[in-house]
Amino acid sequence: MTLRNAVSALIVPALLMCAAPASAGNTLIAKGQAVAVAKSALTILPDREWNKMGARPGRNSETWTLDGDGLNDVTFYGGIETDRTLFREVSKRVKPLPRFSATMLLTDIPALLENSYRIALATPLMTIESVAPCAFVGAKGVTFTYSFTRPNEDVRRKGEGYAAIIAGKLYMATFEAPDIYYYDRDIAGFRALVASARIGAPPQS
Amino acid sequence: MTSRLRRLALLGAAAVFGVAASAPKEPLPPYSGAYEPQTVDERGLWMQLDEAERRLRDSAFVLKEPALTEYVRAVLCRTVGTDRCRGARIYVVRNPEFNASMAPNGMMVVNSGLLVRVRDEAELAAILGHEFAHFEQRHSLHRFQHTRSMTDVVAWMSVVAASGASYQVRSTAINVANSAVGSMFAFGRDEEREADLLGAKYMIAAGYDPNALPDIWNRAMDEADATAFGRKQKSHRYDRLSFFASHPTDLQRATYLRTLVAGMGQGDAGREPLQTAVKPLRGAFLADQIKLNDFGGTEYLFGQLAGDTWDAELLCARGDLYRTRGNPRDLVSAAAFYTQAIALDPANADAYRGLGLAQLRGGDAHGVDALKRYLALRPDAPDHAMIQTLLP
Repeated sequence: MTLRNAVSALIVPALLMCAAPASAGNTLIAKGQAVAVAKSALTILPDREWNKMGARPGRNSETWTLDGDGLNDVTFYGGIETDRTLFREVSKRVKPLPRFSATMLLTDIPALLENSYRIALATPLMTIESVAPCAFVGAKGVTFTYSFTRPNEDVRRKGEGYAAIIAGKLYMATFEAPDIYYYDRDIAGFRALVASARIGAPPQS
Repeated sequence: MTSRLRRLALLGAAAVFGVAASAPKEPLPPYSGAYEPQTVDERGLWMQLDEAERRLRDSAFVLKEPALTEYVRAVLCRTVGTDRCRGARIYVVRNPEFNASMAPNGMMVVNSGLLVRVRDEAELAAILGHEFAHFEQRHSLHRFQHTRSMTDVVAWMSVVAASGASYQVRSTAINVANSAVGSMFAFGRDEEREADLLGAKYMIAAGYDPNALPDIWNRAMDEADATAFGRKQKSHRYDRLSFFASHPTDLQRATYLRTLVAGMGQGDAGREPLQTAVKPLRGAFLADQIKLNDFGGTEYLFGQLAGDTWDAELLCARGDLYRTRGNPRDLVSAAAFYTQAIALDPANADAYRGLGLAQLRGGDAHGVDALKRYLALRPDAPDHAMIQTLLP
């Protein structure tokens, strides 16, 4: 047995054990019906069907996909409070993630996402590429684009995000997909979700 | 020596050589270009590593900076000699952790986090020489054979657990693009000592200051302490050696290295050449470090880099570090660092940006002036429209 085989022999069953309960919870998001996302008042009216991943990245977030995790992911962050991380920490002790603060300026939000990704994915190849003002969920917000590469993979992914701070809580939606094919194909679908996003009462379907 | 004695000595030497010629040929040393792996184990190991190297070569994590790579090569060549260094292929990898490694097939990986931490060329030479010594003494092969001969899972796990953490500086060794390689580099304690000793010999022969060796271990320990302190954790410095620890603890290592180099005299430190080589990329390396969310360790590192004199780039980076943590007092400190940076370099647009954002986040309306100055200095700033929304 080679060293690499032995390592994968140990790791693969562990991965399978983790994956089983997560995949069981995936659900279909129906077209044309407003849904509250990320255990928050953030409401989305999808114009097509999406799949909601059973595994949440964190307490106040959830991920939707069209073709599968890693191919086209939309993640909603619904009301992240002061002193909370964007998503679950792998190791609070060794790899603590940066925390949101209500005093942050809108320009600090893309940096918060960048630093969280760098630590969680263990990659220095994560860059915010553009930042611009926008309106998000009816508030003054920030939109940004980014790109990143996970270690051991070398697939370049592109992303786009929209964020706003409302009553001291962070609301954000991000989309990311491989630079090749998926990003360009599905970015319009994500922008349609963002345009339908509201806080509070669900829009009329 | 009389002529008769000399003739005898020559005859003796000829006899020795004669015997050697008839014995089976010794394999070439691993650094010679024509070296081929000898045993089935070594061939297998090389096959895997050649594949890992092909992947690494094309990886986005390798810095495409020929000048910097060439500089690292030049330091290695001065340290171990031109003949030996021909056997090494150098890859400078974008990775903020303090680490370097050399695979048995001659692939040497140097992290950007190492280049930003070494203060002078002698320290870089100390690390490169150490890694080269592992390579020259075929430690990876020995470890591979040793591991292969073990069958129980606990033994395997110790190898897996030790992967990547070659310097034991942080337990969070970030996975380089070549994890398959990382797991090969769990050397034994004795092998680490052996490599330290041979590495030291290289440094002395090359005329580098041998004190660089213990210096770098002392600072590695101090930085790990600062990281732990910043995260309200215990120092790991004086931990006893655990059964599975592959490296001597940093404290043990610094102590015996200090003993080793005592009385070896002074050598060349080469501070200038190193700083010149790293300078074009230092800003990017510092930014990578700030984004690790390690306030204590980063603050210590910046202090070490600055020494007595803080330059504008370091002050600006320190401002970013404090502004990122963002407590009210941090924002005041950050503004002070940016102001000092501006005093040294009045055209530093990044410092004005940082100053403005720190002041505005801290509730100080003067931030508006700084941001206006930023936009004036950099009219084509990528975040122009965003910054504009912060102005009244």
